[in-house]
Amino acid sequence: MIQPLLEAGWMNAILPELVLVGGGLLLLMIEGFSPKTSRSISGPLAVILLIAATWAQNFTVGGTFFGNTYQISGITRVFDLTFLLAGILATLFAREYLEREGIDSGEFYALLLWGTVGMMMMAKGLDLLIVILGLEILSICIFVLLGYHRRLPVSNEASLKYFLMGAFATGFILYGTALFYGATRSTHVDGLRQYFLTADGSNPILTVAFVLLVAGFGFKLALAPFHPWAPDVYQGAPTPVAAWLSVAPKAATLIALIRLFDAMAPVFQRTQWMLMLAAMAVLSMIIGNAVAIVQRDLKRMLAYSGIAHVGYMMIALLTVRDESVAAVAIYAITYALMNIGAFGVVSMLGKNQNDPQTLDDIAGLGFRRPFFGLAMALCMFSLAGLPPTAGFISKFYIFKTAIESGHTTVAFIGILMSIVSVYYYLRVVYYLYMKEAADGVPVPVSGVFATGALAISMIGILLIGIFPTPLFQMAGNAARELLRQ
Amino acid sequence: MPILSIVLWLPIVAAVALAFFPRAADSAIKAFGLFASVVTFIMSLFIVTGFRTGAAGFQLVEMKAWIPQWGINYALGIDGISLWLVMLTTLLTPVVLLSSWNAIHKHPKEYVISFLIMEAAMIGVFVATDLILFYVFFELTLIPMYLVIGVWGGANRVYAAIKFFLFTIAGSLLMLFGIIYIGFQYQHATGVLSFAITDLYRVGVTPYAQTLLFFAFSLAFAIKVPLFPLHTWLPDAHVEAPTGGSIILAGVMLKMGTYGFLRLVLPYFPEASIRWSGLLIALSVIGIVYGALVAWVQPDMKKLVAYSSVSHLGFCVLGIFAMNQASIEGSILQMINHGLSTGALFLLVGVIYERRHTRLLADYGGIARTMPLYATLFIISVLSSVGLPGLNGFVGEFLILAGSFQTEPIAAVIAATGVILAAIYLLWLVQKVFFGPVTNEENRDIKPIAWNEVAAMVPLIILMVWIGVYPKTFLAPMGPSVRRLINIVKTEGNAPVLVADESAGEVARAPLGGAK
Repeated sequence: MIQPLLEAGWMNAILPELVLVGGGLLLLMIEGFSPKTSRSISGPLAVILLIAATWAQNFTVGGTFFGNTYQISGITRVFDLTFLLAGILATLFAREYLEREGIDSGEFYALLLWGTVGMMMMAKGLDLLIVILGLEILSICIFVLLGYHRRLPVSNEASLKYFLMGAFATGFILYGTALFYGATRSTHVDGLRQYFLTADGSNPILTVAFVLLVAGFGFKLALAPFHPWAPDVYQGAPTPVAAWLSVAPKAATLIALIRLFDAMAPVFQRTQWMLMLAAMAVLSMIIGNAVAIVQRDLKRMLAYSGIAHVGYMMIALLTVRDESVAAVAIYAITYALMNIGAFGVVSMLGKNQNDPQTLDDIAGLGFRRPFFGLAMALCMFSLAGLPPTAGFISKFYIFKTAIESGHTTVAFIGILMSIVSVYYYLRVVYYLYMKEAADGVPVPVSGVFATGALAISMIGILLIGIFPTPLFQMAGNAARELLRQ
Repeated sequence: MPILSIVLWLPIVAAVALAFFPRAADSAIKAFGLFASVVTFIMSLFIVTGFRTGAAGFQLVEMKAWIPQWGINYALGIDGISLWLVMLTTLLTPVVLLSSWNAIHKHPKEYVISFLIMEAAMIGVFVATDLILFYVFFELTLIPMYLVIGVWGGANRVYAAIKFFLFTIAGSLLMLFGIIYIGFQYQHATGVLSFAITDLYRVGVTPYAQTLLFFAFSLAFAIKVPLFPLHTWLPDAHVEAPTGGSIILAGVMLKMGTYGFLRLVLPYFPEASIRWSGLLIALSVIGIVYGALVAWVQPDMKKLVAYSSVSHLGFCVLGIFAMNQASIEGSILQMINHGLSTGALFLLVGVIYERRHTRLLADYGGIARTMPLYATLFIISVLSSVGLPGLNGFVGEFLILAGSFQTEPIAAVIAATGVILAAIYLLWLVQKVFFGPVTNEENRDIKPIAWNEVAAMVPLIILMVWIGVYPKTFLAPMGPSVRRLINIVKTEGNAPVLVADESAGEVARAPLGGAK
């Protein structure tokens, strides 16, 4: 029987995406007809659109659509929430940042919204081709957003770097998908699952395909050894873009990987492929944390810390089961709150964006701008994984899952590396509270939007840290649902 | 009435309220902080009145599901081991806030908030009966203490603060690994996940794992105590910390280490504890003698008191690992004694430092003549620390030595020299600072000790005498709990109640790739 291409209810299914795509177009129109209006309303409007897309999640119904290639389920809702949260926070920080830098315009927000749509597609695609489609939509938005500070050389450098490397990464993913298709006659997760039930993994084409896919996705994740672009790109990018880039695309890539790994689970039991991922996770944790120690540039430091955090998340994925999926989902939400919060404070530093924003620029911030200082300190403690923050709970979940799955050694290395990471996160707190600002360091400007975004981050970090149960329930149910099919 | 929760959360509520005080309202902030901590102390008296002497298990228990998926509960309770430590915490916090009334000029708001959060976290450590809750509070104490040392400390404060933080967290993260592991052992043995401290007492871990876990936990607590040779962070932290920070650090925070040994290490790893008790006793005896000898040659008063802490805490660990009724009771009492006497000494050193901005022994002499009241208070505290009969220090040290002599005679004999050495270096300190001619002209007209400093000292002195004269008040509630602890160690050391299958620890639902 031939399935109709558009199942009933498809409009509802992709309502959040439709809101964002349409909203992005609207922003462009406003910009085109009245740039002046656009400058004053596009930021708030983008936030409203993102909130509307969040609300639109209520109208989506679970199921598969578009010829079994697009799936709405609990886990996609959890990840959609992560993307939208990241989008809202980044937009709030961007509003005042762009205004201050004089590059305010509607396109910025439109690109951010469309990038979010790309990520939603990656999270929902059951077919690798849909995932790649989403990835490309996302990547094109990122290329432009990175170079948005177009008169600044560093911004252009960031854009070009990400473009050149990203193009290769996409190439790898496409090539790997093609080889998969050659070997298994499918690019769909169901087809792959069917094939891998019996495959013994001895086919060299499969190995090559797997390595290519891991390399491509590894680039998007900034997973060592595919990480070196991250510090340069984050440093040059407009700070709110770096904040968004450091979180949301990683989450989208992770959910895509979860689906792929779940489909391939039988073959992992027969091969040593997962050892490669374990090695990459360990390498990421070691490189990320060790190199972050010597960084004085805040954005570079956060980039290396991000490499380490992806390493932690990969530990959980070494064995795909409901607990580990839930752990990664919760980690992604937590990471969005704390990392965007930290980048957000950096974005408020009133310094020439072409120069590095170093630790010296936040000296004494805890007493010059107590709210920013407190927010930054809280984000650092959360990134370091200290209780009672969300960072502790999520890291605990990751390590608990890993030990449960029998990856005791990797978890142990993770804990050792967490100890290392405390040093550089703590150094930020040291600058915040224990060092006087040097002469001439400007007091960061304050703004309603950024303050609001920081408040969301702080409340979220504490709420998840102290009352994690509702989130656990949601993520746990979603993960069980994902893996039961 | 959930009295433990009230005592635990009151300081936090006060800290949050303080955040909304205007920055300029200096005295209002200090007064409110002091008021809140005094109210907390008064409320904590209800713990003592509600405590039933004679019962061994946890009392005044409270229990609410916190993270039910993982079997983690918000579970509080108190027994003879933790009772006086909670009281010590609620007592020392107002003492600190009162004594530093005039000493803190920089950012008083953040200072008071830090101490209130620290108080809540320390109470939490002592009343938590869930392992994860314990861990959360254990870590939470670090952040405010880090800020207190780093923001209000001396010249080299940042180095000291970071060193303190990194040493402690390195130990406690390894302990976290062990906590998760024990939780799973329990799950493998019983089928349910639980982190309740007493549930986990029933887990028998295989000897090999027991040894590893014993060292993971012991490392965390040994750093905190601190046990020789992990003590190097302590002198730095104490010298650089402001007076209030030193009082809390020595008075309460170090006890979290010895408390951890009693509450977790002994009952969880009875075999390993018995097997490795020799090592820990040796280290504590080395610490006693080494700390005393190093204290003897310190030219700086605060450093001298800091090293005397290393020595005194050695007694506590010795008492714990001698593992008999007298020695453990003595050890718990000695924790309280040390909190009182060393807290008092740090307070008094701070008083004179406030006035003369030097802590070098050589800069003083003949102070007894210019500050008679101050000298009296100081000498009482010194005598309490030395262990003069009639004051508290004697009772604790006597019980520890008498108890350890039964099981570890050689260690007890060597440790006893620590008592003599303490008398030497502390009386040496007294002689140098208080007696003899006034050599330094600046010492002639020092401002006398202020009302708030005297008021802070009064409760400490009262308790020193009380414990010295009638220790039964304090020892009676401990007895049953200590007896139960020893029973657990001695019986479980021979026959574990629940032994997880040897292979169970290795089982994973879907192990992949052999990444073990």
